[in-house]
Amino acid sequence: MVLKIRNRYKQEIRNTHNSDIIGEESYVIEVNDLNLWYESNHALKNINMKFRKNKVTAIIGPSGCGKSTLLRSLNRMNDVIDGCKIKGEILFNGKNIYANSADIRLNRKKIGMIFQKPNPFPMSIYDNITYGPKIHKIDNNYVLNEITNKCLKRAVLWDEVKERLGDSAMELSGGQQQRLCIARALAVEPEILLMDEPTASLDPIATQKIENLIFELKKEWTVIIVTHNMQQAARISDFTGFMYLGELIEFGDTTQIFENPRKKLTENYITGRFG
Amino acid sequence: MAKEFHKELVELKSEVVKMGNLALKMLNDSMRALTSQDIKLAKKVIERKTLLRKYDSEIEAKALRLIALYQPMAMDLRLLATILKIITYLTRLGRYGKDIAITVEELSTKPYPASFINLKHMWKHVNTMTKDSFKAFEESDINYIENFGERDNEVDEMRWSIFRESITYMMEDPKVITPCLFFAMIARYLERCGDNTCKIAEKVYYMVTGEHIEIK
Repeated sequence: MVLKIRNRYKQEIRNTHNSDIIGEESYVIEVNDLNLWYESNHALKNINMKFRKNKVTAIIGPSGCGKSTLLRSLNRMNDVIDGCKIKGEILFNGKNIYANSADIRLNRKKIGMIFQKPNPFPMSIYDNITYGPKIHKIDNNYVLNEITNKCLKRAVLWDEVKERLGDSAMELSGGQQQRLCIARALAVEPEILLMDEPTASLDPIATQKIENLIFELKKEWTVIIVTHNMQQAARISDFTGFMYLGELIEFGDTTQIFENPRKKLTENYITGRFG
Repeated sequence: MAKEFHKELVELKSEVVKMGNLALKMLNDSMRALTSQDIKLAKKVIERKTLLRKYDSEIEAKALRLIALYQPMAMDLRLLATILKIITYLTRLGRYGKDIAITVEELSTKPYPASFINLKHMWKHVNTMTKDSFKAFEESDINYIENFGERDNEVDEMRWSIFRESITYMMEDPKVITPCLFFAMIARYLERCGDNTCKIAEKVYYMVTGEHIEIK
């Protein structure tokens, strides 16, 4: 065969089934042989994934495939669900967050969560931001003002609310409320931001603002996002994992997943040929 | 929506096949007109360039519309990317047919120094390669194009052979300079058709496998 393959796209990554090895970069979270059951329902099956620092990783898949369950497992939010059983380990900076000695509060502080529907506290914009730091014993007004200023600027909300920090957060628009929630999550200085369909309830303009924000956030934080919107995953993420029926089918570089997926199942899903 | 998109995609693919057949027909008819000195047929080929251009612009518009409306991914995206590229190669293929057809009238009034055997042989070779590249596209099967590198080299060699042959005739008799220059030019057109066929094959390879290759 006289076809010479030109390595136009030298891929740093190697894709393997249900596991991933990505270059020599540092990983902030490593999921090893994770299995999760809700009673008898085996919701996550042998998940192995590594999340790289300062990158955006998207998790896609049809409804009920376990992507939100996986996301919630990353800061132990499934613990409160009755009948939930977990096997395997999740290493956050090398330490298993499911170990008996793990400090759940510290983990949740370091791993923030943004939900599908904006959920600001029914209090002022200022109080929303300072709520977390106050719980963590910061009570100096100067410091709290600085945190508010910094976090609202990072969430690209400062210019829109700086004149009305005392107003109720419930008066903000949906998009503004979501950015406030991101600012609130940043106020406790997390390392990772988990986002569960953060733009699902927003209009296209507000969605674009959140997407731009995620792009900026990855300079300082690691972002893991669950989304139903594949174009969104393709636009904003560096790595993408495709899940189906509780299994991680394929995980790799976003461009490769959306241009040339290795698995037929992934291809069928992202091209709409599913089922 | 996905069903409608895939239906439109299949239709668009068949439009590309039709365009390919038209381009190949232009090339084949121009060579037939040349070898049988059929000026009428040559004129028909020249007229077909309008239809070829129409196919080019309509397919491009449809492909861009599908991308805008459905934001395709994976193999669908690769198919549309391939279509957008290969319609340019098909247009060139047809236009080389038109360029050959233009020479038919000129050559019909000039004495020929030799038969068309070498050109005919080269044409046959390019024709088969082009048909194979179309089959590979239509059936998404890269087996049809697996030895294109070697086949294109043969076409290149034939072109230089005709070039040398033409020079020999021209040195022998200056009266045949014009037809011999046309011969060399036609050989060059056919060789470029072979190159365009290889470009189509490269894109089909990408469409099927997702990998970029260069046929040498």
